[in-house]
Amino acid sequence: MKKTLFTPATIKTAKIMIGVLLAYVLIVAGIYFIAGDAFKYRDSRSNIEMPAAEANVAELTYDTVIEENFSAFIHRYDTVSVVWGTYYNRPNEGTAKMELITRSNGAVVLSKTFDVSALKDGDVVSMSFDPSDPMREAIVNEALCLRLSATSEYGSAVTPMMSSAEAAGRELFVNGERIAGTLCFSATGTDYIWIGTHYWTIVGISTAVFALVLAGIWLIHASGKKSYTVTAVKSFAGYGFLIKQLVARDFKRKYKRSVLGVLWSFMNPLLTMLVQYFVFSNLFHSAIENYPAYLVVGVVCFNFFSETCSMALTSISGNSRLIKKVYIPKYIYPMTTVMSSIINFGISLIPMLIVCIITGVHFKISVILSLFFFVCLTVFCMGLGLLLSSMMVFFQDTKYIWRVLSMMWMYATPIFWIPSILPEQYAFLFQCNPLYHFINNARICILGGVSPEPSAYFWSALFALIMLLFGALVFKKTQDKFIMHL
Amino acid sequence: MNEPMIEVKNVTMRFKYNNDKILSLKEFVTTALRGKLHYNEFVALEDISFSVGRGETLGLIGRNGAGKSTLLKIIAGIMKPTSGSVISRGRIVPMLELGSGFDYDLTGRENIFLNGAILGYDEKFVKSKYDEIVAFSEIEKFIDTPIRNYSSGMLMRLAFSVATVVNPEILIVDEILAVGDAAFQKKSQKRMMELMGGGTTVLFVSHNLAKIREMCNRVAWFDSGHIRMIGDTKDVCDAYRL
Repeated sequence: MKKTLFTPATIKTAKIMIGVLLAYVLIVAGIYFIAGDAFKYRDSRSNIEMPAAEANVAELTYDTVIEENFSAFIHRYDTVSVVWGTYYNRPNEGTAKMELITRSNGAVVLSKTFDVSALKDGDVVSMSFDPSDPMREAIVNEALCLRLSATSEYGSAVTPMMSSAEAAGRELFVNGERIAGTLCFSATGTDYIWIGTHYWTIVGISTAVFALVLAGIWLIHASGKKSYTVTAVKSFAGYGFLIKQLVARDFKRKYKRSVLGVLWSFMNPLLTMLVQYFVFSNLFHSAIENYPAYLVVGVVCFNFFSETCSMALTSISGNSRLIKKVYIPKYIYPMTTVMSSIINFGISLIPMLIVCIITGVHFKISVILSLFFFVCLTVFCMGLGLLLSSMMVFFQDTKYIWRVLSMMWMYATPIFWIPSILPEQYAFLFQCNPLYHFINNARICILGGVSPEPSAYFWSALFALIMLLFGALVFKKTQDKFIMHL
Repeated sequence: MNEPMIEVKNVTMRFKYNNDKILSLKEFVTTALRGKLHYNEFVALEDISFSVGRGETLGLIGRNGAGKSTLLKIIAGIMKPTSGSVISRGRIVPMLELGSGFDYDLTGRENIFLNGAILGYDEKFVKSKYDEIVAFSEIEKFIDTPIRNYSSGMLMRLAFSVATVVNPEILIVDEILAVGDAAFQKKSQKRMMELMGGGTTVLFVSHNLAKIREMCNRVAWFDSGHIRMIGDTKDVCDAYRL
């Protein structure tokens, strides 16, 4: 008897799979379009920073030429700027000229002539590429020369400033004579982001791989063998009613005996934010543009994290009566607690948005991208919840350990403080804190109005998935022993 | 189809336990450091094999601690055996302890849905049987009151009504449940008998030999983790009397 692959059931599965695939493509494409330029360019890592001005180079008269040789790995040059001195703001006359020259063929790629009489001590004069100028991308890593010349007479000329520090690959010349030190100038631009320029290739490959995997699963399913994935999804769908009831129970139980009810989810972040605002505003207010909004995003995210984890912690031990009497897959319990805190999180997003609107945040379309980081945060909580709930079964002091740990975690995460107060060498401390990534990137999306770099998405997703995988693995390994310890 | 509904194959269940139960990480570490992490083993079931056919009612008898309840939990999927396997072909409704899924802050109505979901019913089924459940439990008046205000009799009536509303393919019964006042006891006993007699496969634990003789086709006699005797109801019950 020949078996056909296409039965109503397998066609339905195929439809669901195509839907999942389409959703994937829509999401990755959507992220790319909403993120816009943030996915294509970032500030160049080879930008030449302006050094501190320490001395005059030389009076820039009609017969003087000052040159600085340099090169920088900036993909797209934007601006070259020089700091000038005017000899105590004396009246100067004439014009000065800045030229950017490629040393290989002596071509001038960028120049600017300006009147020196209007110049004050320490003024910065910048010249910028036209965004459509092809030359800005043609001088990556080229040997360049910044040449300064003028028409001024002696006694009425300005001077560029210099720093005594030497820098690799930089040489300062006055009329062809080498001088120790470097010119006070900066060169800035943007770099292409590899992920951004190869985005559609990556999307294409990953979609193809995903489609192949789904097709493989479908073939296994359609040929009548038992497919682990299809069985798992089906059994999960079969427990839909139970999950709904358990989430409803958690939710009702939380608010049933309180007068304000759901309003608490509303008030909680607002009150926490207000307290922290009054306590810390003097410390950090000046460093951050919109401190209340900065606070409220951090508070809402961290509250969700700590609430989910502490609820998931007791989800197995608290349901021990049920676990001992009825068979339900045990992951359902931590899963439903996470789901009911997602509802709370959704409610607490409302006061967050209200604070943002009141404090004048200009929402851009990038707000939508914050959902990605919220999803990562949720997945992370799920993983940690699974881990904590299974630890709690075996060791009852997990509860106390977690209480201390979550407090430490709160202080280690930039919720009310800002990362820049830490010295550079401790940056790794919050770089390896997953919560920092989720919260910080959500802030960039909501408050900054731009998308973070593509790598931010990558790291956030990686942290979340590793936690989920680890938590699920520990849970799966230990779940059969739960019943003996409850 | 002559496939047995339940097949129990070489099931062994061993429990490891420490003399003083270790409950915290601190205790675990300190005991482990002192090298006192010894476990004792307790064999609750050893190499148990039998099968139950469709529509059969198997009685389980034996003294307390003989392993009957452990076996029921393994068949219901609540516990995993140390070795061996159980195959069951059909949906199991365990009637081990009624109302274990009740939440005392919720109303009777909410608890009917919650408990129904826990017992594995789907939403449509609970909705369609809702009126029947309420009518059987006789607590229409208090259905929207949180059940922490219920009397214990009312709680048992509600739990019984939810649990017995289905006609399961496999029913696991730990003693005949006769709950509530005399009138309700009669009613619930009748319902139990209907359930057990209606072509369902039943596993029935009881200390009441008269009931066992009345209800069961076959009986298994458990003695400290082993099956001492399995076979015809009359033979086993007569032997057990001794």
